[in-house]
Amino acid sequence: MKFLPLIWKNVMRNELRSLFTCMSIAVSLFLVTLLYAYMAMQAEIAENNKGQNRLMVMHQSGLTALLPLQHVDRVRAVEGVKVATAWNWFGGKYKDDRIPFAQFATDPKLVFQILDDLVVPPDQLAAFERDRTGCVVGTKIAAEKGWKLGDKIVLKGDIYPVDLELTVRGIYDGKTESADRKMLFFNWLYLDELLRNRREVFAGMTGTVFLKTESTDDIPEVMRKIDSQFASSDAPTRTMTEQAFRQMFTEMLGNVRAFIRNTALAVVFSLICVAANGMAMALRERTREVAVLRSIGFGRILVMSLVLGEAVAIAVVGGVIGSLGGKLLFMLFDITLTAIPGMAGGFYIPWSTALGGLALAVAIGLASGVVPAWQAARVSVVDGLRKVV
Amino acid sequence: MPNDANVALVELRDVSKDYFRDEIRIPVLADTSLQIARGEFVAVMGPSGSGKSTLLNLVSGLDRPTTGTIIVDGDDLGVLSESQITRWRARHLGIIFQLYNLIQVLTAFENVELPLLLTPLSRRQRAEHVRSALRIVGLGDRMDHYPRQLSGGQEQRVAIARAIVNDPVLLLADEPTGNLDASAAHEVLDLLVQLNAEFHKTIIMVTHDPKAARRAHRVLHLEKGTFNHADIDALEAAR
Repeated sequence: MKFLPLIWKNVMRNELRSLFTCMSIAVSLFLVTLLYAYMAMQAEIAENNKGQNRLMVMHQSGLTALLPLQHVDRVRAVEGVKVATAWNWFGGKYKDDRIPFAQFATDPKLVFQILDDLVVPPDQLAAFERDRTGCVVGTKIAAEKGWKLGDKIVLKGDIYPVDLELTVRGIYDGKTESADRKMLFFNWLYLDELLRNRREVFAGMTGTVFLKTESTDDIPEVMRKIDSQFASSDAPTRTMTEQAFRQMFTEMLGNVRAFIRNTALAVVFSLICVAANGMAMALRERTREVAVLRSIGFGRILVMSLVLGEAVAIAVVGGVIGSLGGKLLFMLFDITLTAIPGMAGGFYIPWSTALGGLALAVAIGLASGVVPAWQAARVSVVDGLRKVV
Repeated sequence: MPNDANVALVELRDVSKDYFRDEIRIPVLADTSLQIARGEFVAVMGPSGSGKSTLLNLVSGLDRPTTGTIIVDGDDLGVLSESQITRWRARHLGIIFQLYNLIQVLTAFENVELPLLLTPLSRRQRAEHVRSALRIVGLGDRMDHYPRQLSGGQEQRVAIARAIVNDPVLLLADEPTGNLDASAAHEVLDLLVQLNAEFHKTIIMVTHDPKAARRAHRVLHLEKGTFNHADIDALEAAR
C-alpha cells in the first residue's frame, strides 16, 4: 500500500501517454465486454429457458414454408403437450422504423401460459382476450414508442399484404432481467381474418407452433411424436427446443462464438503489445531512476513489482472505464444491439461479464508489464548511474 | 579526528578490480588495501579513470571486486548474496550523487521518504524522520517542492537528506559539489562536515576539488589503481 503513491506518480508522469494507453484499453475492453456480454446473455437466456419446457414446431423445409393452422390442434392433442398456440412472425413496419420490432400473431388466451416468465396484469389480459384487434406490448417497447393503454398502433404489412390496426390492451413485464420486453402480441384470428378477406395464400397458415410440455422428461417423446405424425403430410415438421430455435437464428450469422472468441483474443493481444510498448518507452526514459532506486536498496523483485503495478494501474483504469463504464451505460440507457428482434431479448451486460472485463484488464496489465519489469529489474546499477555520474 | 578512529568501519584487503572490454583486461584497482575508521571523513582524489567511482561502487556493494575482501561495519560483502547486499545497503549506507538523482515526479518530502519505504516504520514515523532529515539540511520549508522548483544546491541538500534519513553509518559522496556553484558547494560541504562532526557519520567523498578535499580529515590520492598520500597544495596549484 505504501508504494501506491509512487506507482501513481509514475503513471501520471507522462499524462498524455498514459491517457492514450488507458483509452485504447478502455475502448477495446468495452467492445470485448459487449461481445462477451452477448454470449453470456445467450447462455443466461438458455439457462432460464431450461425449465420452461417450451418447443417450437416449424416446417421441415425451414421458416420460409408455412404450416396449416390445423397443425396447432393436432399438436395440442399430442400426449405430454400442456399448451400449444399458433406463433406467427408478422414483421410489420411501424411509422418510420427501418427494422421491425418483434410482432407475433398468437392466441391471447394461451400465449402467457406458455411464456409464463412474462407477467401481464389480469384485467389487461382479459381486455386483450376480449378485443380481436387488441395487442399486448412489452414495457421497454412501450416506453420507447411512448405507448400507453388504449393507444392505436398501425403496423404496415411487409411480409403479409395487410396492415394491422391494433389497440394496446396490456403491457407486460418480465420476471427475469434477460426477459425480452420488446415484443408485441396480437390475436392470430385478426391476421387470419384480414388474409381470408383478401383471399391470400397465407390464410389459414402459421409460421410455427409454440408449445409447452407437461414436463422436461416428456420433451424427447413429444418431439418425436409431433414430427412422426406429420411425416407423411403435405407439411412435415421439425420440432426443436426453444433454445435450439434461438440458436438457429444466431448461427445464421456463422459460428458466432468462435468469431467472438477469436476477435477478443486478437484485441487482447494487440492491447498487450500497445501497453507493453508504452511501458517499455516509459522505462527506457527512467533507466537512471531505476538505478538510483536500486542503489538506495530497492531489490529486483520490488522494482519489478513497481513496474508491474504501474502497468496494472493503467490497465485497470482502462478496464474500469471500458467494462464497468459499459455496464453503467447499459444500466442507464436501453440500447438494444440485437439484429434479430424477438430472439435475443433486451441487451444488457451481466455483472459477471463486467467484472470479467476488469479481471481481463488486470491480466493485460500484468502481461504488458512483464517484459518491461524484467528489463527494469535487470538494469545494472553501475551502468545506470554511469550514464549521469 | 574522532576518538574511535582506530576502529575500522571500512576495510579493503588486497582488493583488485579488473574490467574487460572485448576480452582486453583493464585493471582499475591493484591489490589495494585501505582502512577507514568509524567517524572518519575521507576525501578521495585522483585523475579521471583512476578508479575513484569504482572504489565507491565496491564499498557500496554495487560492484564486486575481482579479488580481495571488503568489510564494512563488520560485514564481509563478498559472502553476501545480491539480495542480501541490497538489504544491507538500505540499512547501512547513504549515497550522494553528483547530479543529485532525485525522482523528478516526487516532492522533496517524497524523495527523502523513499529509503524509509523499505522499513517497517509507520506512515507517521516515516513523516517524522523525513521532517527531521529535511530540517537538518535546512529545507524544512521546502518539503512540498518538486526538484524543478529547487536550486541545484537545494536539490543536493534534498539528496543528502535522502542519504541520511535512515540513519546510515556510512555516507558515500561521489563528487557532491561537482555540479554546484562556489556558494552552494560551500553550503553542501558545511553540511557534510556537520553530519560528520555532530552526527558522527563516516564519510567517503570522491572529489576533484582540492578545496572540498581540504574539509576532510584525510585525503587519499588514487592513481593507477593504488592509494598515495595527497599533496593538496600541489594539486591546488596544478588547478
